[in-house]
Amino acid sequence: MDINAKEIEQAYLEKPRRLKTSSGIPVKEVYSADDIKDIDNAKDTGKPGEFPFTRGIHPDMYRGKLWTKRQQWGHGSAEDTNKGLKLLISQGSTGVSLYRDLPTALGIDPDHPMARGEVNAVGTSLCCIDDMKVATDGLPLDKLSISILCASCPAIVLLSQYIATAEERGIDRAKLRGQLTNDPLVGYFCYCKEANPPELGIKISTDIIEYCTKSMPLWNPMYVSAFYNWREAGALTAPQEIAFGFSVALAFIEGALQRGINIDIIAPRASIYAQAGIDFFEEIAKLRTMRRMWAKLMKERFGAKDPRSWRLRIAIQTTGSDLVAQQPLNNIIRIAYQQLAAVLGGVQSITSSTYTEPICLPTKEAHMSALRSMQILAYETGVPLVADPLGGSYYIEYLTTEIEKQATKILNDIENRGGIIKAIKSGWVEAEFEKSILQHQKEVESKERTIVGVNAYTSPPEEDVLPGGVLRVAAHSEQEQIAKIKKFKQSRDDSKVREAIRELRGGAEMGEKENLISYIIKAVKARATLEEIMGTIREAYGYSYDPLNMRTSPF
Amino acid sequence: MISEGKRIRILLSKVGLDGHDRGIKLVASILREAGMEVVYLGKLQSPEGIIQAAIQEDVDVIGVSCLTGEHLSLVPDIVESIRRNNLRMPLIVGGIVPREDIPQLKNIGVAAVFTSGSTSVEIVKCIKDLVHNPETRRV
Repeated sequence: MDINAKEIEQAYLEKPRRLKTSSGIPVKEVYSADDIKDIDNAKDTGKPGEFPFTRGIHPDMYRGKLWTKRQQWGHGSAEDTNKGLKLLISQGSTGVSLYRDLPTALGIDPDHPMARGEVNAVGTSLCCIDDMKVATDGLPLDKLSISILCASCPAIVLLSQYIATAEERGIDRAKLRGQLTNDPLVGYFCYCKEANPPELGIKISTDIIEYCTKSMPLWNPMYVSAFYNWREAGALTAPQEIAFGFSVALAFIEGALQRGINIDIIAPRASIYAQAGIDFFEEIAKLRTMRRMWAKLMKERFGAKDPRSWRLRIAIQTTGSDLVAQQPLNNIIRIAYQQLAAVLGGVQSITSSTYTEPICLPTKEAHMSALRSMQILAYETGVPLVADPLGGSYYIEYLTTEIEKQATKILNDIENRGGIIKAIKSGWVEAEFEKSILQHQKEVESKERTIVGVNAYTSPPEEDVLPGGVLRVAAHSEQEQIAKIKKFKQSRDDSKVREAIRELRGGAEMGEKENLISYIIKAVKARATLEEIMGTIREAYGYSYDPLNMRTSPF
Repeated sequence: MISEGKRIRILLSKVGLDGHDRGIKLVASILREAGMEVVYLGKLQSPEGIIQAAIQEDVDVIGVSCLTGEHLSLVPDIVESIRRNNLRMPLIVGGIVPREDIPQLKNIGVAAVFTSGSTSVEIVKCIKDLVHNPETRRV
């Protein structure tokens, strides 16, 4: 091996290359009281548990309850997913997330021609009540906190499947605890425009909020995931994540207000699904900014009076796109920093991406590593003992305010464009994201941004080995699910299905204000499938039965 | 074979239901900056739909992106369709592809596979080589 004397000297004298945050905020060598002199402590910061909740939503933060360690599972059959969820719970996951496959996200059944190759692949197929029953078999639905992840219109059917499953087991819906990503605008932007027309999306989101606020006191019906999903899609900076995420949340709030639901009914039940990325201090500050901005928006813009409306509850998924395929075990370290940032930022739950993220779905080993990392953080480091331990840091307080300024500017820009739906339709959002993506790539390729294993300290790819190998979903899983659904359709009472579908269509034709969830629960119990239910709603609202225009209604 | 001077036309597309399009949009921008004509088909494309578009658009290269396993389920269908239609254009795959799957894809006829960490220079050079040296094509 050649040793170059000059390189050795350069290595010894190494220093950071990029003197700004990941979002491009210039960073000085030291911060002092001067940098935060314009911050009004009472108005902008306060104490933990007090307006504007910059320092956290509870006075005692994690001493009262640790964050929920919520690992996510969903691949293979409903049986496989059920085993996975039970494994996570047995290993200390204190909540779980159930993840749907892509046909489910689009509202098409497994036997749809475009579902080929996608059934049970990156989530589990939740086509009918039997799937939900099997996926949650043996889980105490009245005790377990569950997140159902499906940021698209069919989320309303999955919620109904969950309620129907509980009721067929004799569990009252009022005892169900958890949330579902009620965010069809993410589906519109990220998955399929045709399956998530924004107007239908707002109606569905509002139905879910209205129904759950009335009859499911432990369920959080407004759970906006645009923060996480859009930052992955191209809102690459912390201020962009906040601004685009809030613009989506505001669209849903406006929808619910128009239905006549009071802000103090909506806001206390809202939460967001955001990122914790690799730029440590910036991410901590960002989470503090999110709470401050939410509190001000709710109180000042919407006139919310209930203090619970001002408290923003934040669920985190550690950022998948910060993880790299090269030297994959290094991702364990990246994840630990991301988790630490989330906890220092005072979040309520963490779903951790795992070290296999850039290569394949999480293996058992990868899940355990991410979970153990959180447990070490919770029990060995002493970090959770103090609320907002970085509060008062000149740098953190400066960043919190700087991110607020930048995010507010972008949010105003979106609103001046007529709100997020118009901004998407005009093509502006996509263009903004494309600019960010190209800029980021240039910074990586010019080595302004150092990514270990990618553009520095590289090693031969054949040395990159995943312990436990690559996770693959068995090829027969798809065929088995298709066969199962065919049998399911043959064995049900067709007249009951037709009656429930007729009633659902009637309800949907009564106009926007008619809440569809009771009709959908009845249809689910009558053994109608996801595609049949979504297709019927779509037709009543003037859209094609099949978002992909390949099938027509059997009714 | 096309002459060195002619602009390269490439069709880029997602395949199947996978919605992750940050990577392919980035590649589209990179290739446009490198002077190529990019036809981006978008999401939710079927293998047959991609091939029909490639024929209509008369492209020199096809690039498909998949991040959720379609490289094993749907990419073979694209290869099959290229053969059935007697097409000569090379097929490139990008996205999340485990390293151990790359030989398999090359065996069935995929000309090149790019995963995360690939650079603009590598991608542009590969496409130029494929267009200007037909013997490197596999399908």
